[in-house]
Amino acid sequence: MQHVEALEILLQGLCGVHRERLRIHELCLKSGPNLGVAASEVRLLCDLEQPEPTWTVRHIGGAMRGAGAEQIPVLVRTLNESKVSKNALRFFYSLGYKLDHELLRVGFAFHFQKGAQITVTVSSVNKMLKLHATDEAVPVTPGIQLVEVTAPASSENYTEVVVAVSSFCEYLAPLLHLSKPGVSTGVVPTAAAAAASLMSDGGGTTL
Amino acid sequence: MAAVDGAATGVQDQQQQPPARAVERLNTAVQQQLNLESVRTRANSLYKAISRILEEFDAISRANAVPKWQDVVSQFSMVNLELFNIVEDIKNVSKSFVVHPRNVNAENATILPVMLSSKLLPEMEIDDNTKREQLLQSMQNMPVSAQIEKLKARIDMIGAACESAEKMIADTRKAYFGTRQGPTILPTIDKVQAAKIQEQENLLRSAVNHGEGLRISGDQRQITSTLPVHLVDVFAANDGPQNYSDASGMYLKNTPPLSSTSNNSQGNVLQASGAQLLGRSAASPSGATVNTSFDNTTASPLQYANSPRSSANMMNTPSPQQQSLQQLQQQQLQRQKMTPQHQQLLAQQQFRQSSMNMGQSQLAQLHDMQGQGQQKFQQMHGQQHMQFSQPLAAQQLQARQLASGAMHMNQNQMTQGNQLSRQLNQFSSPANNAMFNSAQTTPSQTISNVSAMMSSQPLFTRTQFGMSGGNRNLPSQNLSDQMFNMGAANSGGMMPIHQQQQHNSQGAFGNMQQSGQNLQPNMVQMQNTAQNHPNFQQSRPQNQQ
Repeated sequence: MQHVEALEILLQGLCGVHRERLRIHELCLKSGPNLGVAASEVRLLCDLEQPEPTWTVRHIGGAMRGAGAEQIPVLVRTLNESKVSKNALRFFYSLGYKLDHELLRVGFAFHFQKGAQITVTVSSVNKMLKLHATDEAVPVTPGIQLVEVTAPASSENYTEVVVAVSSFCEYLAPLLHLSKPGVSTGVVPTAAAAAASLMSDGGGTTL
Repeated sequence: MAAVDGAATGVQDQQQQPPARAVERLNTAVQQQLNLESVRTRANSLYKAISRILEEFDAISRANAVPKWQDVVSQFSMVNLELFNIVEDIKNVSKSFVVHPRNVNAENATILPVMLSSKLLPEMEIDDNTKREQLLQSMQNMPVSAQIEKLKARIDMIGAACESAEKMIADTRKAYFGTRQGPTILPTIDKVQAAKIQEQENLLRSAVNHGEGLRISGDQRQITSTLPVHLVDVFAANDGPQNYSDASGMYLKNTPPLSSTSNNSQGNVLQASGAQLLGRSAASPSGATVNTSFDNTTASPLQYANSPRSSANMMNTPSPQQQSLQQLQQQQLQRQKMTPQHQQLLAQQQFRQSSMNMGQSQLAQLHDMQGQGQQKFQQMHGQQHMQFSQPLAAQQLQARQLASGAMHMNQNQMTQGNQLSRQLNQFSSPANNAMFNSAQTTPSQTISNVSAMMSSQPLFTRTQFGMSGGNRNLPSQNLSDQMFNMGAANSGGMMPIHQQQQHNSQGAFGNMQQSGQNLQPNMVQMQNTAQNHPNFQQSRPQNQQ
């Protein structure tokens, strides 16, 4: 947990914006067998942090493939996202989608502009033992939180966005290593020292 | 640095002066201890390294690029090492050198006196005095010699502490420079812990990316606790079952509309969820108006492809028997599966029918196509081998997109077509195969089911409209021309194709798309004139694979 606070301090220093609390209930729906040869997956995200829960639907498409994609240190994939009304869940159910799994992300996020509109979320991923019981969610990996760095890009400018995201990730190097979603990273040896140094001045300097 | 510069300056001075005066040599003692030349070369190389680094930084800042910190830090460490070596060498003989500024200009005029003075700054002097007094105060009562001894003891202690500290710093520094890997006194994580962390990380990644470890088994999927706030109204006015990947058969909050569909869930062949959806979908399009629309439609849907039926022929060969049969079956279906939603749909259908003037023959074609579709479906289903793999996947995606896209259209016509599409999707579920299989024995019945979806002409047109609209949004796919041609010029043909595809559950949905695109001109034709025969005829044989 200390590392998380240290990371937050570091991010605050790097981003210059204040963190926003994050509490998102994510429902992953898979299409039923009658809806096509290939199963498709749609994610419904409900932002519980707002006074009125807002829903978003997101479809994650295939990632960029090929030799060029492997050289890029960042995963580039198509993503379709849209705001929807709260009927979205019923709508998808009536289309034939079925709930595959759901999870609850609790943490904080930073949105800032640094070469690209970057969003960094640090969250604890929680699972619900009982269906839709978001109040009784337990972390999937206690003590370990997930850090995601994302930025939207178009097909024309994605190389610049890749550079922006990867250079930002280098700033986090003393604390953690980021990798593409399929690759695991392990712990950074300097993490403890870096966290200690970040925390040493009493929890951050006032900007 | 000042000392180095000074020393270098001193050296250079000495060496430049030889021509002017007698060559000055260093004190021999000093000369033994210090190799002047080497110090000079080292100082020069250090100077060059630093200037190089500065230039690099300059270039980086001009190019506005991000510096590679790894390289920069390594260069710094190199410079640091060189400086250290030089200072060490000179430290031995620093006493024999005096620093004097060579070049006084505006830049360093103000700072030079400070750098050269040996007197402490006033504040430092005051601190010094106070500390001295503190130190001596305790010993004022003792004779001087005792004071001296105590002071000496203290000095020795401090000296020893300083030496040990210096030694440690020097050792660390040497180790650092030696290995160039950073301080080795890091708290290392032992293997076991590292493995645990790795395992946790993999768990987390798979959970987030693929949902591993988050799936709840069927019996646990009943909502027992109270729903969170944001889901309360989502599920409150529920008019449909909650679909889970494993058909637990349990549904939340049965609302009244469900009661009618629950009857359908008796369709034991089907999975519970599929059943309910199917029942609903099957029932919905059937309406009172459907009956009337069938009056003039031809019946022979199950005739095989090679029968050269044109629209004209279709018009000429109505089989009232089949039609009535269809109607009967439809009515039965209606009675069984009517739900408020369907009733509403029927009402809409009735309303719309009056507003459209589609040729009856088109509808007939529709039915024919439906029959063909059925056949094809049956055949394919029996084979369980889909002809198109990739296109089908895309088609299905398009189908879904179509349905969803159509859903968003703001026309009354659209909505009904959308509902049809949706229901057609439901039709295509394998779970529905049983139903279709059972229906195969009574082709007309099957047709009636299918055509029930089609119901009225206006519906027909609307669906096509919806499909064409949706198709516009979809990328065109290369599907078998058969389907394409079939639907192409025939608005009537469109729907059957739609049906077929659904029944095939793989059916070239893309055909719809293409046909949709062609539909636009065809629609106009449709409304004005008779159908296009040639395509229809062509498509027929192809359709019957």
